[in-house]
Amino acid sequence: MTSTTTATATSHPATNALAQTLALARRSVLGTARQPVIWFPAVVFPLLIAAINSAALGRSTALPGFPPVESFGQFLLVGTLTQGVLFGGIIGGSDLALDIESGFFERLVASPVARWAILVGRLAGSAVLGAFQAVVFIGVFAAFGAPIEGGPAAVAVIILTAAVLAVAVGGFAAGLGLRTGSQEAVQNMFPLLFVLVFVSSAFFPTALMKGWYRRAAEANPISWMIDGLRELVITGFDRSAALTALAVASGLAALTLTLATTQFRRRLRAAA
Amino acid sequence: MTELTAAASRTAVDAHRRLGAPAVLPVARQLALRGVLSMIRIPAAIVPVVVMPVFFTLAFSGAFSAIAELPLFPTDNILDWMVPFAVLQGAAFAGFGVAYGTGRDLENGFYDRLLLAPTPRLGLVLGPLIYSAARSMLPLLIVVPVGYLGGARISGGPVGFAVLALAAVCTALLAGLWGLGVVYRVRSQRAGALVQAGIFVTLFLSVGQVPLELMTGWLRWVAERNPFTYVLTMARQGFLGEVTWADTWPGLVSFLLGAAGLGWFAWRGFRRLVP
Repeated sequence: MTSTTTATATSHPATNALAQTLALARRSVLGTARQPVIWFPAVVFPLLIAAINSAALGRSTALPGFPPVESFGQFLLVGTLTQGVLFGGIIGGSDLALDIESGFFERLVASPVARWAILVGRLAGSAVLGAFQAVVFIGVFAAFGAPIEGGPAAVAVIILTAAVLAVAVGGFAAGLGLRTGSQEAVQNMFPLLFVLVFVSSAFFPTALMKGWYRRAAEANPISWMIDGLRELVITGFDRSAALTALAVASGLAALTLTLATTQFRRRLRAAA
Repeated sequence: MTELTAAASRTAVDAHRRLGAPAVLPVARQLALRGVLSMIRIPAAIVPVVVMPVFFTLAFSGAFSAIAELPLFPTDNILDWMVPFAVLQGAAFAGFGVAYGTGRDLENGFYDRLLLAPTPRLGLVLGPLIYSAARSMLPLLIVVPVGYLGGARISGGPVGFAVLALAAVCTALLAGLWGLGVVYRVRSQRAGALVQAGIFVTLFLSVGQVPLELMTGWLRWVAERNPFTYVLTMARQGFLGEVTWADTWPGLVSFLLGAAGLGWFAWRGFRRLVP
């Protein structure tokens, strides 16, 4: 008997739903952890890009208007984390689409599992991966001379924001996966995320950009989140900056979770 | 390849020897033409070759425009620096696309039928490479006008454009040879991720973003030894000034050395497919 089915056998409905969510979240986390080929690129590629950008663009910290940083790596930390979380967040939605393709989703729907546990369990996997990426990136950057001036409180906010952002991306990917039932369709959202992270302050300060690109980057909510977190890294802990970053990530998560829930209900109706 | 198809392939090769071989080039030309037709029929397949380089041009130029203000940066217009890089990126993805298509042919059995036909083996490798060279003209013809609209200028004139076109073909051929070498071994489209990773690393561990003089630490050491640095320098010279032999020959030598190494890699992989 699996942990999911064991969970359905307990007495109280709310306890049941929580246990089922935890069981499905555990399945999601283990499913990702057991396939390094899936999560490894989301961790290694952003670090590789950061290493290249640090060596290539390091001298740009001398430009007038560049924030006062100890190294270009310190400036890049949050951008790299955002990039990794955006790309890694697709995994949850892609796995949900795989569940639909393989028929596992239909079996879950046919079982007495709480409906929302199916979606929440899957997104919990994305949140864990996001937090894991944050811990790894913070550790690697610290080892290469990019400390976080805001101390443990800033570290906690960065990890929490990364987890919430991962839920936001996972929610969007899950909505797409539920809508289409196709892993390929979910993977095709990659260019959109690419644009979202590139047209932002992830890799360079918006103050040093020009024209329409600067206006687009400044209007991008991802820039607001990055700038908030970056202040915690470069300057020190600031409640307003922390709240801004968390609010942006939470707002995006609320938006995409609404989309995912709508698509989830639609698919449940179709399955009924 | 199964034992049955291997035996059939040997028979085909014998027949091919007895009856006289069709020339290599007509076979290669037909395979290249097949690629061009598939590109026309599936326009979505050329998106990475066209859209991604245009996006890179806009994104890199927009995000990093201020680096052109650094001392030692060879131009004050970042587009003059980024357009050739974006063209070669598109050309590299043209080579990748060809390898990906070959992976699909290997998966669906079409390649087995090609191997059974009494055709010269070299034509089966040259055909996709000719197609990749032709496909590399797409980013050239799209990214350069986009750059022109943004203010990029080929101060080296028609010779500068010709050198850029030559570098694009060289890049597509190198990427195609790398991709074919991997795909012949993996025999699946799944090799695409590895092919892309190799291309990506080679492109970015070069003078793609900034000149050698502005690099710090390990990257400069690697970029100085990356053959693609010299192909890119050859491509870029027309945007930064006059075309000179001093900036051209290292690119050509790097291409020839790269083609020899990757050609050997691809051919060895191909030989594993045939009995």
